[in-house]
Amino acid sequence: MPPEMTDEEIVRRTLLDKEAFTPLIERYEAKLTRYLERLGVGVHEDCEDILQNAFIKAYRNLNSFDQTLAFSSWMYRIAHNEAMSFFRSRHARPQVVLDEGSETLLTELRDENSDTTHLAELRLSREELAKAFTVLTPLQRDVLTLRFFEDRSYAEISDILEVPTGTVSTLLYRAKRALREALPEPFSP
Amino acid sequence: MMMHDDHKDDQLAQKVLERISGEHLVPRPRWEFIFKNYFFWIFGAFAVALSALAFSAMLFDIQNVDWRLSAATHANFLAFFLEAAPFLWAGALILFILVGYVNVRRTAHGYRYSLAVIALGAVLASLVLGSALYASGLGGEIEEAIGDHPPFYRPILVEERSWWLAPEKGLLGGRVISLAPDNTSFALRDFKGHLWQVEAGDLRNTDFAAVLRGGIVRIVGVPVAATSSTFHACFVFPWEIRYGFFGNFFHTPSPPRPPLFASTSERSVTTPRSEICKGIRPYRQLRSIDETSF
Repeated sequence: MPPEMTDEEIVRRTLLDKEAFTPLIERYEAKLTRYLERLGVGVHEDCEDILQNAFIKAYRNLNSFDQTLAFSSWMYRIAHNEAMSFFRSRHARPQVVLDEGSETLLTELRDENSDTTHLAELRLSREELAKAFTVLTPLQRDVLTLRFFEDRSYAEISDILEVPTGTVSTLLYRAKRALREALPEPFSP
Repeated sequence: MMMHDDHKDDQLAQKVLERISGEHLVPRPRWEFIFKNYFFWIFGAFAVALSALAFSAMLFDIQNVDWRLSAATHANFLAFFLEAAPFLWAGALILFILVGYVNVRRTAHGYRYSLAVIALGAVLASLVLGSALYASGLGGEIEEAIGDHPPFYRPILVEERSWWLAPEKGLLGGRVISLAPDNTSFALRDFKGHLWQVEAGDLRNTDFAAVLRGGIVRIVGVPVAATSSTFHACFVFPWEIRYGFFGNFFHTPSPPRPPLFASTSERSVTTPRSEICKGIRPYRQLRSIDETSF
């Protein structure tokens, strides 16, 4: 399969030959694994099961893939829904795992609050941020995770979580406000 | 964070492909998704159309309830409102708008529209379409055809008729049958078919105009005796059923009735009403309505 092929082209080929699905799985496995881990799926085997189910579901529903959407948004949506089903079946509450994206989020929180504090002054541990995350609603956490840890645009988040773009903006605004209230200076209002 | 390498990627891809082959999985046909999408759009539109029908019936109710006479028919406005407000149709309107929202939300791109946008669109569509249906006269047909079936609901016209079948409370409604040659009384058949002799000595010209036109009237007065079929009328109001803004395309109108008299010119009464009428509730309000509105 030529490496420059777009996701959409691979989808069209997969509809004719299932073997053509392999490059799509390879393209998205790492990204989606990281996303699932960020959503709080901690056990590797669980992650693999969810991914397998997500790719099977994607394959079964390839004909419903809307070419006006980015394939990645559609794939993230399926993985997200699979993860939520997993948490529901385990009666577990998803716990966001924070990593390199936290710095972007903290910068955003700080910048909106004060323009005098330097990034170097940030001394907030991931644990403190993770603790602050517990004040958020599941949807607020999902939006923040997709925006700051997966670097998704508002339109993509809207397509992944199946909520209007306006709702994404509102959720982000409220999530950041709630985080600031839960965080110490210089983030708190 | 877990480690990922090409070998693991291959493993997952291999497992997925093995499962696809082992379980003989194939992509679901495109028509299934197209059908599902159309189904939700059509069902959503159907729900909005039903909400429009509910709104047209609601308009019919509102148009045909005469709140100006509520003081005569009910102890207070709240009691009148609870009996006259079209709760059934308002409930159906809200329900069908919600059903429409849920269906549109489940279409392929339905999630892109906010609740406010879909609800507002559905409400506007219901109001515009419902008003058009009411204007064409369909509202009354729906009210009469469906409103009679739920056990907890009475169509507004049936409800109103019951208010005007209470001669002991001074309320009588029915069709004017004939007028005495000296204009002192007229015969009226009430909504149950009972024949009444109505004394007309206290009626003013406006009241008499309603009697002379014939048809259905509402009378506020005093029963002469508890057991007799004679009723002393103090006020007479015409009762015309409004089927729409421009008449009714669906309801066959009754043939025009010849007026019982050509005009009211033969009768000009300027003396105050008798003491019998002045005791009725609410005399001043009814007199004001009698003199201005009808």
